[in-house]
Amino acid sequence: MENRQKLRDLLMEVLLLTDEEFSFDLKRERVETWDSLAVVAIAAGIDETFGYHFTPDEAVGINGVRDIITILEREGIRFAEA
Amino acid sequence: MQKHEQWERRWEIADLKSALSTLGRSYLCTTPSIRSRVQALLSPPEIESPESVPSDADTLIVAGGGTLIDRAKVFRKNNWPALNLIAVPSIWGSGTEVSPVAVLTRAKKDIHFSDDLIPDHYVVWPELAESAPAELLRFACGDVWSHALEAFCSPLATETIRKQAADLMNEIASYPLGFDARWFDASAAACLLQARSSVGLIHGFAHVLEPLLLSSAPNARWGHAKLCSTFLSPVLNFNLSRSPKVQTLATTFGLDLDKVQAVTKSLFDGQAYTAAMTVAEQHWDTIARDRCSRTNCILVRRDSLKYFQQFRISGAVA
Repeated sequence: MENRQKLRDLLMEVLLLTDEEFSFDLKRERVETWDSLAVVAIAAGIDETFGYHFTPDEAVGINGVRDIITILEREGIRFAEA
Repeated sequence: MQKHEQWERRWEIADLKSALSTLGRSYLCTTPSIRSRVQALLSPPEIESPESVPSDADTLIVAGGGTLIDRAKVFRKNNWPALNLIAVPSIWGSGTEVSPVAVLTRAKKDIHFSDDLIPDHYVVWPELAESAPAELLRFACGDVWSHALEAFCSPLATETIRKQAADLMNEIASYPLGFDARWFDASAAACLLQARSSVGLIHGFAHVLEPLLLSSAPNARWGHAKLCSTFLSPVLNFNLSRSPKVQTLATTFGLDLDKVQAVTKSLFDGQAYTAAMTVAEQHWDTIARDRCSRTNCILVRRDSLKYFQQFRISGAVA
């Protein structure tokens, strides 16, 4: 499965989103379920799925899906154009 | 046992007896099972419940299990912050005597978190647990283990917490799964570690299932400690099966994972697990979305239920 799809599946699972609700431009402020516990769960899921562990600063600084992609691409994890 | 951050609040029974004259008007609230033993040594008048403490009170001494102590903690915080609160746990496990957390079990778990909940003093009085049933003592050991293990694995744990949790688990791995006075200090230490990090899926199972099992099977004596003991091994194995993270942490912090596996396996009761899983299957979405499960070191997904169903069937790592 390509990385885009893996990330999409992970975030839909953690944030309880439907296909229609998810987009790669999604912002944290627009998702009610994206609370502090979701931040922890996303970090655990990213570690499990992509083998990268967010630093605490990275984890709390994520404001949307694009921020996650930016961090992961910085670590050499490639995403096709979303 | 290394001194933990609440060590200055720690008293032994002799300290409490000698301090009684300085505590003002004191009242005693005890669990019935230990009441006569407590009253033989402590003179303050007995009251029926923490909430019935008389208006002239300066100090409330609450002696019993975690449920009673948690009630007193919440009552004091919400109604009477000036009341001096002294907790005397009758058994180890919850660690609530040092904890900023209090859990009230109603239709579901009601979790309170505040430094104002921490009792002013706690009393280590191991003899109170000596006559407790062997099964309860065993579950209490599982409760301590679940706090230490989930603190160690927590995504929110610092290196210091992980090192302290690893050292603690390496030490308690040699304790008997029954009466040993050292469990009281281990319990307090483990509780503080999880309060400074988080708990995980073991507690997700326990928090969701306890009220359900208490109402559906009241004679089975389900409680928090029994549930933690029951799910220790399955959740540890689930975490190990999904990612090398726990194994890597164990290597990094010198945790003897083989010993941890051996202890959690000896705490596992297949019959209890099967009974609990029957209910867990029906409430999996709630368990997976529980706030404790959401801070598990491995992401708990909808399809993670399959692992636990298979664990029930095989009784071993799936």
